[in-house]
Amino acid sequence: MKRKLLLIIPIFFFYFNPSNVLAADDQCYTCHSALEDKESKLFAGDIHFKKGISCSGCHGGDNSSEDNEVAMSKAKGFIGVPKGDKITEVCAKCHASEKMMKSFGSKLPVNQYDNLINSVHGKSSTVSSTRIVNCTTCHTAHGIKSVKDPLSPVYATNIPKTCSKCHGDANYMRTYNPSLAIDQYTKYLTSVHGKLNSKGDPKPAQCASCHGSHDIKPVKDIKSKVYPVNLPYTCSKCHSNKEYMAQYKIPTDQFEKYARSVHGKALLEKNDPGAPACNSCHGNHGAAPPGVESISQVCGTCHALNAELFSGSPHKAAFEKKGYPECETCHSNHEIVTATNKMLGVDKGAVCFRCHQDQNSNGYKSSLMMRSLIDSLDDTKQSAIVLINEAEQKGMDVTEVKFKLRDINQVKLETRTQVHSFDPKKFKDIVDKGLVISADATADAKLAIHEYYFRRVGLGVSVFLISLLAFGLFLFLRKIEKK
Amino acid sequence: MKKYFTQTYKWLDERLDLTSLSHFIEKKYVPVHSHSIWYYFGGVSLFFFLIQVLTGILLLFYYKGSADLAFESIQFIMSKVQFGWLIRSIHAWAANLFILSVFIHMFSVFFEKSYRRPRELTWVTGVLLFFMTLAFGFSGYLLPWNKLAFFATKVGTDIAGNVPIVGNIMKGFLRGGDDVTGATLSRFFGFHVALFPGIFTILLVIHLVMVQRQGMSEPLEIENAPQAEKKSMPFFPNFMLRDLLLWLIVLNVLAILAVFFPADLGEKADPFSSAPAGIKPEWYFLFMFQTLKYIPAKIFIMDGELLGILLFGLAGLLWMLVPFWDTQSSKGLRNRKINYIGLFAVGFIIVLTILGWVS
Repeated sequence: MKRKLLLIIPIFFFYFNPSNVLAADDQCYTCHSALEDKESKLFAGDIHFKKGISCSGCHGGDNSSEDNEVAMSKAKGFIGVPKGDKITEVCAKCHASEKMMKSFGSKLPVNQYDNLINSVHGKSSTVSSTRIVNCTTCHTAHGIKSVKDPLSPVYATNIPKTCSKCHGDANYMRTYNPSLAIDQYTKYLTSVHGKLNSKGDPKPAQCASCHGSHDIKPVKDIKSKVYPVNLPYTCSKCHSNKEYMAQYKIPTDQFEKYARSVHGKALLEKNDPGAPACNSCHGNHGAAPPGVESISQVCGTCHALNAELFSGSPHKAAFEKKGYPECETCHSNHEIVTATNKMLGVDKGAVCFRCHQDQNSNGYKSSLMMRSLIDSLDDTKQSAIVLINEAEQKGMDVTEVKFKLRDINQVKLETRTQVHSFDPKKFKDIVDKGLVISADATADAKLAIHEYYFRRVGLGVSVFLISLLAFGLFLFLRKIEKK
Repeated sequence: MKKYFTQTYKWLDERLDLTSLSHFIEKKYVPVHSHSIWYYFGGVSLFFFLIQVLTGILLLFYYKGSADLAFESIQFIMSKVQFGWLIRSIHAWAANLFILSVFIHMFSVFFEKSYRRPRELTWVTGVLLFFMTLAFGFSGYLLPWNKLAFFATKVGTDIAGNVPIVGNIMKGFLRGGDDVTGATLSRFFGFHVALFPGIFTILLVIHLVMVQRQGMSEPLEIENAPQAEKKSMPFFPNFMLRDLLLWLIVLNVLAILAVFFPADLGEKADPFSSAPAGIKPEWYFLFMFQTLKYIPAKIFIMDGELLGILLFGLAGLLWMLVPFWDTQSSKGLRNRKINYIGLFAVGFIIVLTILGWVS
């Protein structure tokens, strides 16, 4: 009994393994596996084989015929080895058909074909008249695995290598875009994402997480997931997901903060693609938080003058000594808001006051002085605006005075830069320039208001004189007409 | 003093025959009746023309007729030139009042049938002067080179382009190219300050000479009344001083309008910007513009706009030739049909202008 049972078990597993059942009926596989060719060996591990799809599913022909003349005849629809774009079309027969995919119990989306032909990879290849990429370029043929299978070339931890086969090949990439970088994979390995990915963690971002899979668009395409305006949303898919990020123990409020920041508003509200997105500070393929020592370099790529002034200021050495990150200490990181006068000075909310609390210190005195200077500039500008508005309401032409107001704004912008030198004298020189323009604008506005009253008075006098003349004429007429 | 004056007069009289001129003026009388008030609108129109010439010359000192500088030069006139704002505002207001006054003068002449024999040519020159006034308005409107003027000129010249046969040539001539550009501004400037004033002055001289030669026309009922019942006043000094009195009142009104409602400049024209919504021509073209809007795009096989233009052209021609087809008035007979036509024309212009204004 025991021996019989031992015999039954392997027989049971052989017959109740669906692939074996189907393979037994599939004459293509029967013959090719007997020949022990490479394709049939690979196909044994292919997801399609496991789903009961025969060789004829892709190559055509009659898989029930033992006669290979009949099985591989054109009359039976045999197409041989599909090449180029034919490969994608063969795959699309099932993968673009909801009905077919359902019949195999698959829930895979059926838009991969459309996405691929409309993607950057769907463009014409430089080496043949076919598309750059077809399905087998990434998924291979015969040995296709589920994307969730760690052996699949498109499994999360394998994707970077798969992509880099082409994207790391200088000779190949040059034929498409000579200026395109080919070091993405190398950079990726240095990134936080890449380091975790190479350790076998499938969760950190890899190529497809940011660029998409079948629907990859050129970076400059507004539909691209990594187009500047779209990038923060792409990053936030993972970085704002508390559950997903829990194991990495990093905050998940970066996007929220960024959206409130001056950079986020410029990019997400004003759609200014020149505004910094996540990758502008963190890098893209080599994404990592900038270190304390490199923050000023990162910010300085755009805010060059501010960085230069800061480097020449006494704060440079002090910050280094204390290990403070340069820009971030005063401006924070993701939530950088528009700088206001309140940042300066010794009020409780002022950033200077955080360190300079000693009333006798130079820092305290300097910040107090700079604050009072910038406040005085604002006050005089405000007084000029009130007068200009009054003149405008009176119907006077204030176009030119308004241009002067712009100059004051320019001066204010200069003070915002100069403040990074933390030199009260230089700061005062610029504020004084603004005060002169402000006084000039005020004088012009007053002149316009004066002109308004002068015109009214002038009109009154003229009307009176003309009326007097008219009345005299009227009296004279009456006199001569009485005669 | 009197001696010098007499000597100067004698000197001039010898050369210019002033005595015969003074005799002519002394003998000149203006009829006095219940409709005499309409006589003054000719004088008021003349006064506005003189103001336009004077303020126009002053503006010419600073105005620059090129697309790059026109707008800025007017900005300069308005803000930097002493009393520049006043001169420009008076020029802009007087232009509108000039056209209004010409409208009133022309219709009063029409209703009084003063165009009847022997004043047919006075009427024809008057109607031509009216057309010239409109041409002054159209050409002057573009000169500030602001957004509104730019697009209004575009619409206006487009309409001119629809005139059959000569439309396209006319449009090209007016624009100085396919589109409204700096070339259009240059030629409109030329028309406004050289060509039109020249033609206008010639027509005006002919018109005034004929008025002086023929005297003021009397309404039919007065003309047929017995001589004893007719009243008149000397042209000099009575009528002239009355004219002067009215001119002074008009000057006061102009000054008040110019100070309280100075001419606006708007935004500089930008050929690449989109046309402002609901763009309309100046009020004196509004009735024609509105009529063209109401005409269907196609009437039988004919283009609606083309039909409208042809009808306005025909109406203008008939209007100018009224002394030649209203033979009854010339014979001294009452012609009520003329009154009905006149009333229809006034009503049509007023109603369509209001509709254009509120739409």
